[in-house]
Amino acid sequence: MKIAYRKFFSPLFFLLCWEGVTRAGMVESWFLPPPMEVFATLWAMIVSGEVPYHTAVSMGRAASGYLVAAAVGIGLGLLIAWSVLIEDFFDPLIELIRPLSTFALVPILFLWFGVGDTSKVIIIFKSCFFPILLNTIAGIKGVDRKLILAAQSLGANGRQLWLQVLIPSALPVIITGLRISTAMAMMSLVGVEMLSSDSGLGFLVIDAQRTFDTRRVFAGIIVLSAVGFSIDFAARIIQSKAVAWHTHTSLGGKYP
Amino acid sequence: MSFIDAHNITKTFSGRNGAEATLAIADISLAIGENEFIALVGPSGCGKSTFMLMVAGLEKPTRGELTIDSRPVTGPDQQRAIVFQEFLLFPWKTVRGNIEFGPRLNGVKKSQYRLLSEELIRLVGLQGFEHCYPYELSGGMKQRVAIARALANKPRVLLMDEPFGALDAITRESMQIELQKIWQQARCTVLFITHSISEAIFLADRVVVMSSRPGSIKKDVAIELERPRTREMFTSERFRHYERLLKECIWEEEQIPQACFA
Repeated sequence: MKIAYRKFFSPLFFLLCWEGVTRAGMVESWFLPPPMEVFATLWAMIVSGEVPYHTAVSMGRAASGYLVAAAVGIGLGLLIAWSVLIEDFFDPLIELIRPLSTFALVPILFLWFGVGDTSKVIIIFKSCFFPILLNTIAGIKGVDRKLILAAQSLGANGRQLWLQVLIPSALPVIITGLRISTAMAMMSLVGVEMLSSDSGLGFLVIDAQRTFDTRRVFAGIIVLSAVGFSIDFAARIIQSKAVAWHTHTSLGGKYP
Repeated sequence: MSFIDAHNITKTFSGRNGAEATLAIADISLAIGENEFIALVGPSGCGKSTFMLMVAGLEKPTRGELTIDSRPVTGPDQQRAIVFQEFLLFPWKTVRGNIEFGPRLNGVKKSQYRLLSEELIRLVGLQGFEHCYPYELSGGMKQRVAIARALANKPRVLLMDEPFGALDAITRESMQIELQKIWQQARCTVLFITHSISEAIFLADRVVVMSSRPGSIKKDVAIELERPRTREMFTSERFRHYERLLKECIWEEEQIPQACFA
């Protein structure tokens, strides 16, 4: 994969402006610390093992919620796309829960499951589940009817049709849902860790804020941004490899 | 008894929300002999494709009887393969993967279907493109893959729904010549839908003209030109005679929508 150097320009420009503003003494350093100091703090936090520890805890929570959402979302999505009866049964419930803010469920989940990891994983599950479910349904339902006729005329029975035509054909859309949900997982993770936690990246940021240690706040935000970016970058590579045929038939082929 | 026997086939599509049912096909009877090449022409919406899907077993007639080799058609069968205008290849499979799709589904051994796909790739002239994906191919090449994929099940009936309709005129002509060659080697019964009268005459043993909706058979013309047919025949007196005959017949069917005068 080729990376154009010009893509580094805007982040560097941003950092330079930031450094300039702080060096010029335009703002107090507790309000906005210079980036060099933030990176120094970040480095110290990495070396001390603080950042690796909290990152690992956060990733564990995010991965648990995400993977369960992926399994249930794809499974239920396939069932709903397969049967109108199942669709009619689940659809109203889905449409009632889906628009609900994930955080509206926080009080009741804390009440039921305590403030521990169970509640957090359920919150992450809720935020990842719907994009995966809806993309799976849309992916299967969007398969060209005539492609199915073509496969049937070649002798595909019901099971073969699903495994060898419908699912591969819907895969680009399903993978898009999986990719959207990685970002959802990161967002709800941070939120819920800020609400109640003694570990994780969200906790790291909110805890630093409580002691007015702005450098640590920024260091935590940079870690979150880097983690989120890396996950999406990996997801993009997996996507381009898994459905290379689709990348080439759509606009997506223009991007790395 | 003919090989394919359609007897008083009628098809109605039920209207939505209690709207009146449309009569798509009215009382078609058609007998097709084994290894015969039949071209089906007629105005758009006359039910040609519906009739073909019924022969494929992918649609059911509302009334009438349809038998192939004396057995009633009950559903799709590997003995009947379809080639569509839109190619409908599997975009995630290579040329070879597409061609081997049918035999693999039907449990043919790998050593056998590999041999078969190689033979078919040679037959349709796609050597060197085995590992290409459909997005890497031109329209004409895609349709060659679709034809090879259809032939891979060794069908006794090949159904082609305007297979060359999406191709440019030059590719189309060379595909017609190719198809004649392929048909002479593969030996199967072909039902070929087209909008091009000259294409129908060039390829078919018989050209069947359908009337506009509700579709029924208006004329059935045997084309007596020797095979293999060549490009030169397009300008022959005989060819032109058939062309005139069929065009007149179709012009009668051309209905100018009333709305044009409103």
